[in-house]
This record gives sequence, structure tokens and C-alpha cells, in this order.
Amino acid sequence: MSERKPLVLIIDDEEPIRNACSFIVKGMNCDTALAGDGEQGLKMIKEMKPDISIIDLKLPQMDGFEVLEKSTALFPNMVAIVITGYATVDHAVEAMKRGAFDFIPKPFTPEELRVIIKRGLDRRSLLLERETLRREKKLLEENFITIVSHQLKSPIAAIVQYFEVILTGAAGEISKETLDIITKAKIRAESLLNMVNDWLDLSRMNHQQMGEDIKSVPLGKLLEKQVGFLESLAGKEGISLILEPYTGSDVVQGNETFLDQLFYNLISNAITYNKPHGSVTISLKTEKDGVFVSVSDTGIGIPSEHLPLIFEQFYRVRHKTKKSKGTGLGLSIAKKIVDSHHGRIDVESKEGKGSTFTVFLPKTFHKTT
Amino acid sequence: MKENKKILVIDDDPDFQEAVTSILKSADYEVVTASNPEEGKEKIFSEKPNLILLDIMMDSLFDGFSLCHTIKTSKEFKEFNDTPIIFVSAVKEQTGSRFQFDGDEEGMVGPDDYIDKPVKADKLLVTIEKFINK
Repeated sequence: MSERKPLVLIIDDEEPIRNACSFIVKGMNCDTALAGDGEQGLKMIKEMKPDISIIDLKLPQMDGFEVLEKSTALFPNMVAIVITGYATVDHAVEAMKRGAFDFIPKPFTPEELRVIIKRGLDRRSLLLERETLRREKKLLEENFITIVSHQLKSPIAAIVQYFEVILTGAAGEISKETLDIITKAKIRAESLLNMVNDWLDLSRMNHQQMGEDIKSVPLGKLLEKQVGFLESLAGKEGISLILEPYTGSDVVQGNETFLDQLFYNLISNAITYNKPHGSVTISLKTEKDGVFVSVSDTGIGIPSEHLPLIFEQFYRVRHKTKKSKGTGLGLSIAKKIVDSHHGRIDVESKEGKGSTFTVFLPKTFHKTT
Repeated sequence: MKENKKILVIDDDPDFQEAVTSILKSADYEVVTASNPEEGKEKIFSEKPNLILLDIMMDSLFDGFSLCHTIKTSKEFKEFNDTPIIFVSAVKEQTGSRFQFDGDEEGMVGPDDYIDKPVKADKLLVTIEKFINK
């Protein structure tokens, strides 16, 4: 807990009682604040967020019950103690029902007040502790996938890192044969890492509500960003990335993180399964209800018998000529994202000529109920 | 020559520390390491590094990010506010899902650059040279 003294707010319309309470409470190493009526009391609760509020039930205008109800609704971790002027059990019970922690009947002795304040302070620290734990738990739950992903990826990353040290010669000279073997080992470890990444993406999508964080996303800008990310990958293979100019609005409602991933997957696929010195053309077309984005490559194409299956998890087209580098999850992730946005994804392909993936995203996001 | 350039690696994975240290030393950098944010802070004061490689998730979620913000903005680190910081993390870069913060954590000052883990030796060295002149 913080170093500051606990703050006790006293709401009572009788000045002598306010001052007497304040005097006693200050003697317990607490700070106090005083309010003479319900309205002022509630205002002070909102501004000062006291640890404890002592509320007289009988107040002019806004009565103690109302103050109690409104303040405990706003600050469930505040400890409310009511003063019952007419020592009736009914009022005390009613106050407890409305969120009071305890009650003290008038008249009371300083010692009685001290006992109840002491219990209130204990209660308050319990409530705060509970709040901290709850917040930590929530943070863990929200980031569960991130944590698991970190745990799974760290060892693989360390392995790849050591291979990288050997390959750069930082650990000393190595023979050509060793270099070849380490290179192969590194490629496999990297593909394991990619697999873990993809698998985690997929499970996060099951886990997380796709309908969260929906906002207006300008697709043109998003595509430009992805092209930027992927330029170096394309460059290595001598492949040119072309983002065609477009007219009209490119804005759709959606989850930007997932849309980023959707087009990253499609464009990186188009690079990976391309021919050397081929090209990837990305175009954007606006319709009344939504936006079409197509990603065309000049690659090896997909045999027609495979087309119906390519969006399935772990399905990979086995090419005789090109060894598959993918994890088999990229397109099923893409499809999942498109489905969650109530869009469509289609593919056209000619073996040996290339493939075109076309995504339609509606302008308005319809939340699945 | 870059003989006097010193790099501080703050990462809780000892294997990663060792591997990256080898790469950096092969490029003639002086390397010091720290295994958690607290040790990192101490080493910043005692070693006065020219550049910091910082992991994002160590003892807790995103503590690297908080440390970065502290180094970049606090009075305590006044002398080091301009020290270049490069995040090195296995959290994926492309998807933009790199950081999921609560609202009150927005507005934090980020690093000068990012590198994905595992790091490619050439990419690491090129990125460092952007900030440290030979």
C-alpha cells in the first residue's frame, strides 16, 4: 500500500459530532475530511476517494442511504460506516444491505468509534489487496496467449541464436560441411518457430473475441505498411511488390491487428510461392458495400484439385518442384479473419501461371451475436 | 574504430545473452549484461553504455517497456535519456500485436528501434550502427 495516511471522510450535519469524530480519528494516525450534508459528502467522495466514509443516515436533502448507495456503487472498495441516530436495528440492517460495512448507533463513546474505525481499516486493506490480485489475474488472463507464446518461443529463439553465432564465425572457424549442416538445422528450427507463431495466432483467434477493438481501418495505408514490411523478403527473391493506385474510399470497419495479419499472410504467401524475379500485384477496388483487395502472384499456381482444400488447417499443396516452406496455417488463419469480418475470400489459380486471392470486406462490421 | 563503444544487453535468457555477446564481441564491441530490469538500471549507472539492447518480457509482462520509458523520461536517468534503446523480442512484429497495453499505459515512450528474436547477426550490427557512429 502507499505511504500516505488513510483518509477518513466524515459526513454529518451536526458540527460538534463532525469535529469530535475528526479529533478521534486523527488520533489514530489518519487524515480526515468533513462534509456537512449529503450532496457535499458525495462530491468529496468522488474527488478525494477516501479509504473510509462515516455517513450519518439522517442528513438534510440527500439522506445517508442515498449517499451510501451512490458512493458504494462508484467505489466498491471504499469502506462505509453509518451512524444511526435512532438506534433502530431496521435502519442498520437496511444500511448494511445497501453496502455499509458496519454501523455505529448514536450516542457512541470515542472507544467505540476507534474499534469500528480499526476494523474498517483492516477491511480496507483487505479490499485493496483483493483488488490488486484481481487486476493481476485479469492481466494474466488477457495476456495468457502472449505469455505462453513467450515461453514456447524463447527456447527455440535461443537455439536459432546459437546457430547464428556459429554461422557468422563468431565462435571460430568452421568447415564447409559443418556450415551446411548448421544451416539446415537452423532452417528447421526457424520453421518450428514459425509454426509456433502461426499456431498461437490461430488459438488467439479462437480465444479472443474477434469483434473487439473494431474501428475504421484505411486498407490502402494498411497495405502500404505490409508492403513495407515485406519488401526485404521480396527483395531477397528478386520479386517486385506492386501496390496499384486506387480511387474511392478504402475504409472498412474491422480489427486492425487481424486485418494486418490477413494481408501479411496473403502477401508473404504470394512472395514465398512465386517464381524468382516474379511479381506480386496488390489492387484495391471500392464497391458500394465494401472493399475488394486482390493479391496476385506470378508463381507456381495451385492445381485445381487442391483449390477447395487450401483454406483447411495444415493443408499444404505438395509440389514436386518446390519444397514447401509454409506451416500450412497461413491461409486458414486468413480465412478465419475474413469470416469473422463477414467477408469473403476467393482464389483463382492456374498451375504454372500464378494465383490471385481476392478478399471482400464489408464496410460495416456486423457483430456476431 | 569502435573500441570504446559499450553495449548493455538486458535480457533474462542467459543463452540469448551469451549468443548475442559473441556476435557483438566479434564486431569489436564491449559488452555488459544484465538479467533483469533492476540489474539493468544498476549497470546503466555503473557502466554508462553507448547503447542498450532490451528484452520486453522479463520478470513480468512488458517490464522492458516500463524500463525503456523510465530510462527515456525520468530525471533519475537524465544523463541517459538520449541513450539509444533497441528492443529485442520474440513478440511478433508484423502483426502489430506487439504490445497490448491498458489505457493508462498508453503514451509511454518507446524504443529507438526493434529487432525480432532470434536476431540475425547482420541485421543486429546494421541496426546498432545506425545509432553508434564508428
